[in-house]
Amino acid sequence: MRSASCAALGLLLLPALARAQAAGAQYADLAGSVVSDPSGLSSAFQGDVTSPGGGDRSDGLQRSLGLRYTLEGVEVRGNTTTLSWVVLRYVPFHAGDVLDVDNPALALTRFRLLGTGYFRDVQLSLRRGTHRGAVVLVVSVVERNTMVVDDVWLGLSADVEPNGASRPLTAYAGVRVTETNLGGTGLALGGAFAVADSQLALRARLADPQFLRSSWIAETELLYNNARDFYGNRDVLVDYATPTSTPADYAVAQYVRFGGRIGAGHDLGISSQLFLAYRLEKIESVLPLAASDYRGRDIEPIDFMLIRGGSILSTLSATYVHDTRDEPFLPKTGHHVVASADISLTPFGSDYPYAKLSLHGSEWWPMPFGHVLHLEGFAGGVFGNAPLFERFYVGDLSDLLPDRVLDLNFDRRPAPNFFNTDIVEIRYGNYAAKINAEYRVPLYRGMRSIYGVDAFGSVGIYGLANLDDFVNPATGYSGFATVPIDLTFNAGLRIDTQAGRIVFGLSNFIGLLPVRGPDQGAGHP
Amino acid sequence: MRRPAAFALAIIALVTTTLSQAQSGAGSRQPARPGALATRQAIYAWDGDLLRATYSYRDVLADPALAKKLSTGLPVVIAMRAYLYREGDDVPVALVPRVCRVVFDLWDEVYRVHLSEPEHESDKAVVLDGVLRLCTEARDLPVARRAVVAPGRAYFLGVVVEVNPVSPEIVDQMRRWMSRPAGSTSIGPSDALFGSFVQLFARQLATSDATLTFRTQGVVP
Repeated sequence: MRSASCAALGLLLLPALARAQAAGAQYADLAGSVVSDPSGLSSAFQGDVTSPGGGDRSDGLQRSLGLRYTLEGVEVRGNTTTLSWVVLRYVPFHAGDVLDVDNPALALTRFRLLGTGYFRDVQLSLRRGTHRGAVVLVVSVVERNTMVVDDVWLGLSADVEPNGASRPLTAYAGVRVTETNLGGTGLALGGAFAVADSQLALRARLADPQFLRSSWIAETELLYNNARDFYGNRDVLVDYATPTSTPADYAVAQYVRFGGRIGAGHDLGISSQLFLAYRLEKIESVLPLAASDYRGRDIEPIDFMLIRGGSILSTLSATYVHDTRDEPFLPKTGHHVVASADISLTPFGSDYPYAKLSLHGSEWWPMPFGHVLHLEGFAGGVFGNAPLFERFYVGDLSDLLPDRVLDLNFDRRPAPNFFNTDIVEIRYGNYAAKINAEYRVPLYRGMRSIYGVDAFGSVGIYGLANLDDFVNPATGYSGFATVPIDLTFNAGLRIDTQAGRIVFGLSNFIGLLPVRGPDQGAGHP
Repeated sequence: MRRPAAFALAIIALVTTTLSQAQSGAGSRQPARPGALATRQAIYAWDGDLLRATYSYRDVLADPALAKKLSTGLPVVIAMRAYLYREGDDVPVALVPRVCRVVFDLWDEVYRVHLSEPEHESDKAVVLDGVLRLCTEARDLPVARRAVVAPGRAYFLGVVVEVNPVSPEIVDQMRRWMSRPAGSTSIGPSDALFGSFVQLFARQLATSDATLTFRTQGVVP
């Protein structure tokens, strides 16, 4: 018993001891020296003893404090919305069990219930049962608002004038909201929308974190996108079906997606999860009759990457996640790896024969003074004829252009092209890769409305290409300029708040600077 | 366009400076600036070549909710660490831990206390007042041997008391676990359904239910 408690004590104080010993502290000497006379302290406290304990527990149990009772039941208090069985499915104790008060599962139960996000506070306690030695485990919860705003998007996308100046294209906005405890059942119902000029995206999602009370996650999602996208950089020749179309220096395709997906996930261990999903979509697209654009010095027809009229997309996907981060938004250590594979099921009617593979890995290292170094790498490939929205997009790789939101693309600018390569010719590609390094400096840590503020600076290089860019580079480029890579960078603040996560980046300003002058796209005549 | 960038840089610099100052002293298991802690009185005495100290930290249970936890029937740990510092130094020369573990016996209606400190370990069955005396008062706590302290120099104790402390490793493990509770990840993991939500709770995982820090008055042994 003594050794056990000393071990526990040592574990508790290990970090402190390490520091103290490093500083030349004499703890080891003190801990090892047992003074012969406890100086009467023990006897002084003996007067407080009121009873040596009940007859149903051994002396050994009394010494260890490991009191054991027979569990008579589990009682849930404080839940006004959440159904009791939703709470009980996280409690691994049942009537009739022998309950050891030292069982670490008791403490973990509290954290597990907090982790559901349904409760502001959870406390466990015991009360007497109906007969000696019996107890009831009381789980007291304080519920919280479970309606959550997951994401908010606001922005102004841009085109570029021939002189390189930005030209606003459209404002866009969107939000993603989730009720994480629908009707107190533990189900999550989420919705999202994004809207811009002539574009709309809608999502509805229902998830059960413990499907049929099993350890499987089940989820279903409905999707609707009324989208358009832009093709060509300049001097685009386009023939629309309607003669009244406004002339423009780019071609526009419009398409509507409607469908859904169902999926299931399961833990493969404490840090790994596997997700499988099936997706089925109907796509209706309205494309120009024909369009062409310069690729280098040559004029080539534009591939709209969509099938004209109606088409079906049917895919099966598998995603593996390995995540050892200490926290999701401002991690200090750990790694995060996501590997995914999508296969279009052409034998089952899919009109887009393709497969898509991607691997995304990140590692965080703690540095001196609490700083953090983050390195990440991404590589992906699309093999076959994937629809437009399944291909890699330059805005998703560059910090200086807006990301796609719910698969909608609002921006028409090509890559900033700091290296003057032929990446300026490519906005969508079948192959993409990126390496990025970020250095973070913690500025503030709190427990209330603002949880953390970090300053960060990042720099990276990314590449985006299609098969043609390897075997038949755009004319007008030579040497290094035929390697379609570009620089991306950012700096600013990452703020973790009660209301959500906010990133203030200088790229938001820099992205609006003229970065494509008349000389860019050097292959153009 | 240079003005917005310069303005943003200035804002970042301002926030950096302000928050760095606000952050100082937080987040360390050992007092960062022990000399600046609030002072309370301790009684020092030599016992042979052993320096002993007596002081109280009952106020660590001042929160009624925390005191109520003592009678839940589940274990409560009150861990005290006393660092001996030379006046003016931030590096301790000795460390004394004292851990008290309390469980209320529901059927015998006594508190069963296991006390562990360098001199001895003991198990007691006491009433509430006994718990407070046993677990929130250090009496004749052995602090350091005479050889450790330099004669003629002033020393003080920097004390950290935690209720239900959790090791940083376990906190990190819990945060990882809480960041991915069952159902926390949607089919598209990059599009986590609960991610930011659960983060709120991961942030609330403190390293203890309550923490009290103070220093004793200086003493020249």
